[in-house]
Amino acid sequence: MSDVSFDAAAAVSAPRTRRRARLPVPVVLALGWLALMLLVAVAADLLSPFPYTALDLRNRLSPPVGMGGAWLHALGTDELGRDVLSRLITSIRMSLLIAFGATAISAVLGVTLGFLAAHFRGLVEQAVLALVDFQAAMPFLILALAVLAFFGNSLPLFICLLGLNGWERYARIARGLAVSAGSQGYAAAVKGLGASPWRVYGRHVLPNIASTLIVSMTLAFPEIILLESGLSFLGLGVQPPMTSLGNMVGYGREYLTRAPWILLAPSSVIVLTTLSVSLVGDWLRDRLDPTLR
Amino acid sequence: MSVNDEPLLHAQDLVRRYAMRRGMFGRPAEVRAVDGVSLTLRRGQTLGLVGESGCGKSTTGRMVLGLEVPDSGGVAFANERMPAPGTPAWRRLRARMAMVYQDPLGALDRRLDIGTQVAEPLEIHGIGTRADRPVRVTALLRSVGLRPDHARSFPHELSGGQRQRAVLARALATSPDLLVCDEPISALDVSIQAQVMNLLAEVQARTGVAMLFISHDLRAVRQMSHRVAVMYLGRVVEEGEPDDVLHAPAHPYAQALVSAIPHPGRRGGRIVLKGDPPNPAARPPGCAFHPRCALAAALCAREVPVLKPRASDRRLVACHVAQGEVAPGAGLPQPAMEAA
Amino acid sequence: MLRFLGLRLARALLTLVLVVTFAFVVLRLSGDPALLILSADAPPEAVAAFRQAWGLNDPIWQQYLRYFAAIFRGDLGQSMRDGRPAVELVAERIPATLALTLPALLMKLGIGIPAGIYAALHRNSFADRAVMLLAVAGFTVPSFVLGLVLVLVFAVQLGWLPSGGQENWRHAVLPVLTLGIGGAAVLARFTRSAMLEVLGQPYMRTALAKGVPWARAVRRHGLPNAAIPTVTIVGFMVGSLLAGAVVVESVFSWPGVGRLLVVAVANRDLAVVQCILLLVATTMVSANLVVDLLYGVLDPRLRAAPREATA
Repeated sequence: MSDVSFDAAAAVSAPRTRRRARLPVPVVLALGWLALMLLVAVAADLLSPFPYTALDLRNRLSPPVGMGGAWLHALGTDELGRDVLSRLITSIRMSLLIAFGATAISAVLGVTLGFLAAHFRGLVEQAVLALVDFQAAMPFLILALAVLAFFGNSLPLFICLLGLNGWERYARIARGLAVSAGSQGYAAAVKGLGASPWRVYGRHVLPNIASTLIVSMTLAFPEIILLESGLSFLGLGVQPPMTSLGNMVGYGREYLTRAPWILLAPSSVIVLTTLSVSLVGDWLRDRLDPTLR
Repeated sequence: MSVNDEPLLHAQDLVRRYAMRRGMFGRPAEVRAVDGVSLTLRRGQTLGLVGESGCGKSTTGRMVLGLEVPDSGGVAFANERMPAPGTPAWRRLRARMAMVYQDPLGALDRRLDIGTQVAEPLEIHGIGTRADRPVRVTALLRSVGLRPDHARSFPHELSGGQRQRAVLARALATSPDLLVCDEPISALDVSIQAQVMNLLAEVQARTGVAMLFISHDLRAVRQMSHRVAVMYLGRVVEEGEPDDVLHAPAHPYAQALVSAIPHPGRRGGRIVLKGDPPNPAARPPGCAFHPRCALAAALCAREVPVLKPRASDRRLVACHVAQGEVAPGAGLPQPAMEAA
Repeated sequence: MLRFLGLRLARALLTLVLVVTFAFVVLRLSGDPALLILSADAPPEAVAAFRQAWGLNDPIWQQYLRYFAAIFRGDLGQSMRDGRPAVELVAERIPATLALTLPALLMKLGIGIPAGIYAALHRNSFADRAVMLLAVAGFTVPSFVLGLVLVLVFAVQLGWLPSGGQENWRHAVLPVLTLGIGGAAVLARFTRSAMLEVLGQPYMRTALAKGVPWARAVRRHGLPNAAIPTVTIVGFMVGSLLAGAVVVESVFSWPGVGRLLVVAVANRDLAVVQCILLLVATTMVSANLVVDLLYGVLDPRLRAAPREATA
């Protein structure tokens, strides 16, 4: 059974494979960078030369290799002699963890609300749409700051809070596609066979809109990274002794004149990562789903 | 009266209204998509429902299946009231009635293979065990003229006729008593249409399933049906045996439909309808057909004709002229000529 | 048209009610206001007196209504730091913020829109590629990184401009540049895609096929139609005139509303946070209302089907 369907799938994607051979160079570079980041995040403990909180008081503010520094601390150290490379590796893991967690939360939340709106219509739909308008109308940074002011900060709360960013886009997409699938077509047909809503949405609608959702998640990912690093930079996100990319930049700002490397290393990682995800997202959108924007 | 003569399905005075707003200043207008339709269907029989698009025949089909709730009137299936949509009773009933769609590609999930989709009603209704489902699927595919290996194909890999066969196999999986076929052949190639119609007739002969066959194609309906109902603007205007309706239509609208069928050897005599195509939002008073009717008399613009048996041959027809209640006029809005 | 206006106004008010409710709910969920404001080790009599004075013992819906009434009167409570009315504290920071965001808005419009149009009209040219590259860079570089890099180059290395504070116009140059570059990039990218979409439309091809000169077709048909989506994002930028500089004000120690917000959040000065939240929401909602009305002027179709525009 599997071999035949595999052949069928291969036959369908055959014309695509030919185009995939000519992957644009920037996309290849972006994918390479993202693979490296994922590897760093997963293997952070193996890769970092020092514990990220370890002090080396004899080598405080030592510059990185290339600016007169030694290989012992390849990216230099900070005011307390903590190894910038080790801190960077730990920060990458933390920032990616937050970004993945928040993206997953906002996708699940948005899709659920979108499906609820599409399924119940009427008042439920109006309520969801009012929430969508509200969310779209408010700058999220301000809302996030307000919540942090009222509730204080902790890592799980922070991830959930960032997970509230951008759910309205998934909700719009899920509602729109579910409504059109439900009014005519496969979803209506399956419903007519007596399927429960769980089956209709879980087994049929969700897999059919998955590619659109994945593309939107890719496009939203850089936003979450920027938001996290922005809040952490302001000192309102990830709290010490934990560290994230934005956190490092915020700390390094104090040493802008004396030790710019503390700030430049995490800054370049943020920029390269968001740039890579954006490039891959744009490419995916053009390939998989030209209907988005 | 034996058990088999009892009607499987009885729909009484179905009415379905939609609110429609024209422009942002317009007051919401009420559109009566279906306006008092009654149907009776016996086991193993086919009722054909004919009419042009927008006459409410698809809405009628959806109400008969219980997919849509009538605003008034009701549907009884096997002598039981249709339960409300979404309830467990309603969901169980889905195993006993199924639908065949106009667009088979749209009705199939393009991400699942045909075998999975044909097996889905079995899973939903818990029929058979997981182990014997492949056997059942194979039998179902064979019964609609597909090969067992089509189970592994995806919808886009099949031809239009094959997709419609797959939809039919899925519909038949639970051995339903009623099949509503909504324009099942109009999206298919002419060469394929006859095959699918033969298949439907063959399935009926084998399984004894009752069918509501909805189409705008009078010839297809005649070939398939034991009875024919002609709809115009949400109402049944004529109902009878297919051959009778086709050879001697009583309602002027049915006459126009019949005359529009291309017929080798026949010349002239084609009735061309005048006036605008019907708009359900602006239903004319009296007989809804009167503005386009060549025989309309003054009474037709005033009084709604009732569907009732004609005195001469008991044919059900809703027309003042055909019932002999008024002499044929020369059509409105031209001044009606009262002939003696 | 009246119906359209009324519908829009109702939605704007609904959004504001939602924001106020959000503030109320979050405020009540975050803990006992008496303990928060009086500090946890306040004597029990003081807490009881406070609860009595602020009606915290009344049913929650009465508190909710009273909260609404107070906001209606413009009474948003006092800052916990110095006891001054929160409204006053926020109001005196507004000019400083506008001194950054207004020039930055002009810069975004003045650079972003022409660059986007130019890139679209010369698609795939060198200029187009350069604009797009800069636009993507502008979008992916966070404002604090851009700001700090500008400081590093122009203040630390070259010593041309001050790195922070607010004394004369020279202090405003770097923050305005930071805000303007990022926004211009977003706007250029958006304008370009809106313009490209319009250029591909049948009416543009028809106009050109009829022999209308290229420049005139772009002026008559292209620009007005591309303006419709662009107005949305410009509206968002106008709406965030007060809120859009939170990070940049912090980078440059600029004493504006955003800086006040960050400090208030760090100190959990709830009255001030809530006041800024409502201020930002009101600005944003008003800007959106204006955008909706502009839509009505620019695109007569939307007047007929208001729901389609947002769904």
